[in-house]
Amino acid sequence: MSAPVLQRPAPVRAGRVLPFPVTGQEVVLLVVVAVLWVALAAATPAFATEGSIVPLLVAMTPIALIGIGMTVVIVTGGIDVSVGSIVMVCAVVVAKALVGSGIGLPAAVGLGMVVGAALGLVNGALIAFGRVQAIIITFGTLNLFRFAGLQVFGSATVEGIPATLAPFGRGDEGRTLGVPHSFVVLLVVAALAWAYLRHTPGGRHFFAIGGDQDAARLAGIRVRSRIVLGYVLTGLLAGVAACFVIAQGTSSLAASVGSGLELSVIAAVVIGGTSITGGRGSVLGTLLGALLVQTVRTGVTQLGWPSQLSDLFVGVFIIVAVGADLLRQRRRPGRRRGTT
Amino acid sequence: MTARALRLVLTQRTALLVVLLLAVVVTLTTLSQRNYLSAPYDASYLAATLINAVPLAMLALAELLVITSGRGGIDLSVGAIVSLTGMVFGFAYGQWGWPLAPAIVLALVLGAACGALNGFLVAHLGFPALIATLATYYAFRSLALVVNDQKPINSPPVQALYSTATSVRVPLVGAALPEVPLGIVTFLLPTALVVWVVLARTTAGRRLYAIGTNDVAARWSGIDVRRTRWSAYVAAGAISGLVAVVTVAQFASARPDAGTSGNGMALPAITIAILGGVAITGGVGRVAGVVLATLLVVWLNAGILLAVPGNEGSQFQLFALGVVLVVAALLNALTQRRYGGTR
Amino acid sequence: MAAAPRLAVHGVAKRFGAVRALRHADLVVEAGSVHALVGENGAGKSTLIKILSGAETADAGTLLFDGREVAVGSTTAAMALGVATVYQEPQLFADLTVAENVFTGREVTRGGRVDWAAQNARVLELLDLIGLPARCATVAVGTLSIAQQQQVSIAKALAGDARLLILDEPSAILTDTEIEVLFGVVRRLAASGVAVVYISHRLDELFTIADVVTVMRDGETLGTWPIGELSVRRIAELMVGGVLDDRPREHRVADGAPRLELRGLGLEGRFHDVDVAVRAGEVVGLYGLVGSGVAEIAASVYGIAPATAGTLHVDGAEVRPRSPRHAKALGIGLLPSDRKQQGMFSFQPISFNISAGNLRLLSRARVLVDRRREREVARRMIERLAVKTPSERQPLSAMSGGNAQKVVLARQLVDRPGVLVLAEPTQGVDVGAKDEIHRIIAELADAGTAVLVVTSDLPEALRISDRLHVVRDGTTTAEFGPGATQVDVLAAAAGAGMASAGEAGAGEAGPVERQP
Repeated sequence: MSAPVLQRPAPVRAGRVLPFPVTGQEVVLLVVVAVLWVALAAATPAFATEGSIVPLLVAMTPIALIGIGMTVVIVTGGIDVSVGSIVMVCAVVVAKALVGSGIGLPAAVGLGMVVGAALGLVNGALIAFGRVQAIIITFGTLNLFRFAGLQVFGSATVEGIPATLAPFGRGDEGRTLGVPHSFVVLLVVAALAWAYLRHTPGGRHFFAIGGDQDAARLAGIRVRSRIVLGYVLTGLLAGVAACFVIAQGTSSLAASVGSGLELSVIAAVVIGGTSITGGRGSVLGTLLGALLVQTVRTGVTQLGWPSQLSDLFVGVFIIVAVGADLLRQRRRPGRRRGTT
Repeated sequence: MTARALRLVLTQRTALLVVLLLAVVVTLTTLSQRNYLSAPYDASYLAATLINAVPLAMLALAELLVITSGRGGIDLSVGAIVSLTGMVFGFAYGQWGWPLAPAIVLALVLGAACGALNGFLVAHLGFPALIATLATYYAFRSLALVVNDQKPINSPPVQALYSTATSVRVPLVGAALPEVPLGIVTFLLPTALVVWVVLARTTAGRRLYAIGTNDVAARWSGIDVRRTRWSAYVAAGAISGLVAVVTVAQFASARPDAGTSGNGMALPAITIAILGGVAITGGVGRVAGVVLATLLVVWLNAGILLAVPGNEGSQFQLFALGVVLVVAALLNALTQRRYGGTR
Repeated sequence: MAAAPRLAVHGVAKRFGAVRALRHADLVVEAGSVHALVGENGAGKSTLIKILSGAETADAGTLLFDGREVAVGSTTAAMALGVATVYQEPQLFADLTVAENVFTGREVTRGGRVDWAAQNARVLELLDLIGLPARCATVAVGTLSIAQQQQVSIAKALAGDARLLILDEPSAILTDTEIEVLFGVVRRLAASGVAVVYISHRLDELFTIADVVTVMRDGETLGTWPIGELSVRRIAELMVGGVLDDRPREHRVADGAPRLELRGLGLEGRFHDVDVAVRAGEVVGLYGLVGSGVAEIAASVYGIAPATAGTLHVDGAEVRPRSPRHAKALGIGLLPSDRKQQGMFSFQPISFNISAGNLRLLSRARVLVDRRREREVARRMIERLAVKTPSERQPLSAMSGGNAQKVVLARQLVDRPGVLVLAEPTQGVDVGAKDEIHRIIAELADAGTAVLVVTSDLPEALRISDRLHVVRDGTTTAEFGPGATQVDVLAAAAGAGMASAGEAGAGEAGPVERQP
């Protein structure tokens, strides 16, 4: 091997090794959420109580959890609009297992994870190996999975679900010292994902793939397996989220579960600063995005406004968040995306 | 000979659709004649089920325009526009006493305005279409629900519209065919005709194909890329406004969730557009393909309902739609690689 | 016994379909040397480089690395051998930091986690070597200038312990100071044993940095000489070949007021003080090497990047084109330089491509497309430009480069512009079609069009221009009339300066100084 290239010892400068973990957009989101909370607490004193905050946190966990997986998928330049159907399939399978076989909580969650991961694998394989746009494939699997779920459902609802999953629910079994378990699970998963994405080669490779898939392949990255992994992860998290949804519901599960969920997830991810074109994104942003969306929903209800108005605000937030991101991108000199 | 035929069928989407359509109709008719189906699958049944084709085909044409404009063009908000303009139409015709024609024009104009917002975000501000129309989907959906406190409008004039949803003869060739729902003649045919003329015969259509094929080259050729792209979204919105009128008449009620219940109307519309040969990357798409794809899906669904009645049947329709989309997409990719693309 | 050369290439050949890109290439690169590779566009340099870096495989010939025969079947195989290529287009990930880009695919890990401290330390060493400030390590690469991104690419190559470093036109986008830094890096690398292959059109640079020069022409390597035995003029002669295509040309001397005039035109950072006048009926050429600013001048006239200084005049009136649409409305026809990205509607038929910019002309009542006229116009153009195609319905993607270029050119000619600006009109076009396009340009001038051809193809510039301006370092320097030789022009463009453009033979005393 040739001698090392350097001729003189270079001083190792102390200081920041990686870029600061929190981006400007995330700080803004945090501030916006904080402002909203303060404003809501002032407008309706009922908001600032445990009785309001905890259900808010619990309600946001399924979206945020799936959002973690969706962040990875979108960072690689893909998308998954079938997550709503994945949740539905996992929910019905787990619910039936709870009712029919009386399995315990760990088994239920495990079952959800396995089914979700399997469905995610279908997505990933079709997209990575079929080389078709993710949006089309997942539009297709959205229907296929829903069909499969409805087959498992048999009748319109699953009745008599035991409270096995209550530790993930809204009630008292769902919290310890006032902190909801599902939220803790979310934080743990988010922390693991954040560490993985930031500190492991595999995690960084997701960003490389989203930035320039060909350059990534040339650099020796296993592009296909990374892409498949992203979808499998999303499916797996959707399976866990399905358990949360069951826990947060009643003892009967309707076949409409998960319908339209994918849009909320994508909204949370996009508001959080992840770029839909790939290469950029963060788990923290997605969490804040989901928190913002849920805050808006809860706030609107608490203020007595028509609950559908929350969707309008979500739409506006999406525009503002993505618009801000677009403006930031314009200022970059070295970037030469397709010119118009 | 077979290699050439195969190549033709794979590269010419309309040829493939005709083949599939024939296959479906022949199979189901045969099953029907052998009494495997719960009701006869015959010409008059097929004509009757066309009522479902009207909103579906029209929205698919809207997506055709938007997706063909390129640069990731797509419109997730068409269903929400249907809901919103439907409510406004319900107000105008059902409560404020407007005559029918001006009320329809109002729906059209409002739909176009919603589309103009989409177009502005995408073409002028540079938002990715997926994001912009996702946001407007939320916004329009919310407005539709809030504007009448989530209540549908069922006033007598609106209910009277139901009677207009009769079956009529198709003009010119009607003698040989069974009667078709009125909406086909009054809404779908004119819309399809207008879109076809614009795309196939006008300079505006050429500009749309140009920006969808290569918007950089289009700019260099002197085409106003922004305005052309914007107008695609406006047109999609206008068509959605018309669909709202059809839907209100079909259900004799202006429902605030008309276009957004369940999975919404956007998804099937996009599916049919893709099936009809519209390339998701832009620049490719024909009215004939979209119309054939609609017929295929509608008649296939109708047949499934007869073969597998009840709830099972509607579930199986989901399966069919999903399979059809995935297979069509894989087929698209395959022909792209082997033959250089479809036409 | 001398050690085996780092790289020995014998008899390598490559063809792409009917085109023989490389006929016979021999190359011997010693470790620790800076080996320049020069040749005109189309001489085979890029094909040879692609073979060395694993992007293509040779049809014939052998490659020996440190004396051992190797087969470089893929880019990963090349990287494993220690071959690193730095292209003009940096292959970087815009949203990742410099440190991450340098180590993508080769991360330094400790127990599964990325060892940021170690990686960063190494990156800082490399940045110091390259001459980039240390704070760059943690910024996103997309925020750096193109020149800095190139430096990061070099650092990336070095991180992989390159033993053969190929630099493809590195100085094209650098300023003088940056070039000095680059040379320093190259010298240090060579001193530490790395073999450097340096491709450049700027012949004068070679005398500062290269040890030996290999000249390529027409897909063959002509030979390798120590730099001391050569001069800029000699290299130009070798590149161009002794026998020139001296077909007698009709030289037009146009009179009358200029139809297109650039007066003192400038765009900050790109070009300055450009003065060009084009009269009706003449062909004026703008020739410059990559990075000379010539492409940006064309873009300015097109309205893509409007000038910040000076004025542009069409038929005497001052104009400021803001977009290609605007330029067209002013009566200027434009042929873009990048056919695939900026000119072609690939899967659309010929008739569509021709009518794309001329819809108003080919319409009835400006709304309906007059398809009969469209067909007629297309057929007429096909005949006039000798486009080889069975019908006007054939898609452009099924056509050769030359034929596709003719179609894109046809689009510009439909409305008979008075001024025509053509950028790289025969890039990627085979010899036969090239001839035909030149003929068409001559005919256009004869018919009274004012034609401005912007090109980096030297023989073409000489062949078709009545007057030829050379662009160097962002400004028009020399102007040549019909009697100019290729060597004169190349020398002027490559920087020998007017003083040594005279008949100095081979063997100047010492390296030629760079003109300030």
